[in-house]
Amino acid sequence: MTGDVQAIWLTGLLALVTTLLLMPLATPLAWWLARSPSRAKSAIEAVVAMPLVLPPTVLGFYLLVILNPDTFLGGLWVSATGEALTFSFAGLVIASMIYSLPFMVQPLHSAFRAVPESVMEAAATLGASPRDRFFNVGIPLARRGFLTGAVLTFAHTVGEFGVVLMMGGNIPGETRVLSIAIYEHVETLNYDAAHSLALGLLCFAFLSLWLVYRFAGERVEVIRG
Amino acid sequence: MSRRLVIEGQLERADFALQLALDIELSSPVGLMGATGAGKTTLLRVIAGLEPSFRGRITFCDEVWSDTGDASARFVPPHQRGVGVAFQDSRLLPARTVRGNLLFAMRRAREGGLTVTFEDVVQGLYLANLLDQPTESLSGGERQRVALARALLFKPRFLLLDEPLSANDTERRLTMLAQLDTWFSSEPIPVLYVSHAQEELRRLTQQLIIMEQGAVRSRGATEALLNGVTDVDGESSDHSVDEEAIVLVAGGDQLSVVLQRAAGTALAEQPDLAPGDRVLIRRVPPDISGRDFTLQPQSDKDESETD
Repeated sequence: MTGDVQAIWLTGLLALVTTLLLMPLATPLAWWLARSPSRAKSAIEAVVAMPLVLPPTVLGFYLLVILNPDTFLGGLWVSATGEALTFSFAGLVIASMIYSLPFMVQPLHSAFRAVPESVMEAAATLGASPRDRFFNVGIPLARRGFLTGAVLTFAHTVGEFGVVLMMGGNIPGETRVLSIAIYEHVETLNYDAAHSLALGLLCFAFLSLWLVYRFAGERVEVIRG
Repeated sequence: MSRRLVIEGQLERADFALQLALDIELSSPVGLMGATGAGKTTLLRVIAGLEPSFRGRITFCDEVWSDTGDASARFVPPHQRGVGVAFQDSRLLPARTVRGNLLFAMRRAREGGLTVTFEDVVQGLYLANLLDQPTESLSGGERQRVALARALLFKPRFLLLDEPLSANDTERRLTMLAQLDTWFSSEPIPVLYVSHAQEELRRLTQQLIIMEQGAVRSRGATEALLNGVTDVDGESSDHSVDEEAIVLVAGGDQLSVVLQRAAGTALAEQPDLAPGDRVLIRRVPPDISGRDFTLQPQSDKDESETD
């Protein structure tokens, strides 16, 4: 059972780190998507939404190809940290951030879009610069979007399987997250252990979605969770 | 430093065009009136810097705010103009209390400008009981008072007030009007005051601009211009009659009645009429009149105008 406890801990840590790193990156991106008149917007939106439709194995495969130590990016990481990105926790974090990007960006995007232009104008006439308006008008009004985005990103990262398997493998304490542990229990016909982990995940998924619907009070589009 | 606002240029929209050549001396408050859709609100937006598609030149106190000329293109963004606006539709910051809205303005207040204090404004505009309420729970009249207070507390260099009291009841409106008058005369700050209510314009402003269809129709001393506005003809038929109208509201502000006419509403000075009376109205010569403007509802709800 200690192996499973380790997997739970690792999964929670991965989801937490991913959520915390993704939030400050996704916020300005979502703000830009919501307010810029730029024509490049649709293309960027499509790129952001891609993880929703791509099979996780495709994403994992490309990340494996791009981030392995023989490539430029992978080599850069190795020379900076002495470790490879593939089959490591750090690599999983990067993969999860890409995989969960739409789950953070989309709720923020709709929250920012709901900030009325009239209110932004009023703030401008009260001496608030664009930066000031972003931090003191936009962000406070998007609180629900932040809650929704954070919960969905966390939950989605917890449920990640294909990407992890492709570029993380199954290293206890490093990349062996819950979904992989369940998979292995089933492979070794240890159905009881698989059951307890699977039921735990089921309850967790329900609780996090309930949290979103209960407190964020808005309909959330979950295309694939 | 000359206290004047010079605007020359135009704004083109699909269904509306604003054509301006204005040179306003701002040493005393200036009134602005005109029918719904005449461009009053758009003019305020142009001055505040909220209409980036305005082509032309705006200078305020010798400072160029906007110039779309090829050689000297310049645009000062709204937050750097120091213009305080009380929007007709209030535009309070959601998810903040009344106090939060006032603090937002005070934290960004300019040096100099009006010296009214938080206490002055809270008392003068009846906000004491509202301070800790969320803005969502306020009535239209209350929202307007907060918007006005917020604009004042920003200590602007130039105050643009777009029907700031229209949703408040008559008694309160008159008291607040007196209050505004005191503030504006103790420290003469440039004010542009949009209103349909003649008694407000008479009380607060010495100069008046009347707009029609996106341009200035007439301007001059407030008293002189408003005295030209008498266009109701009760019975007699020795004038050229334009149309028939029904009195909707009477006795609202002692001086005027609101008329329902075929093409909307109109305001006229004729105190001895009752709601339901049928009258004939006459068009008065355009150079002296401020007639044919609609009156905003005096009820407690927000009414947004699309001009």
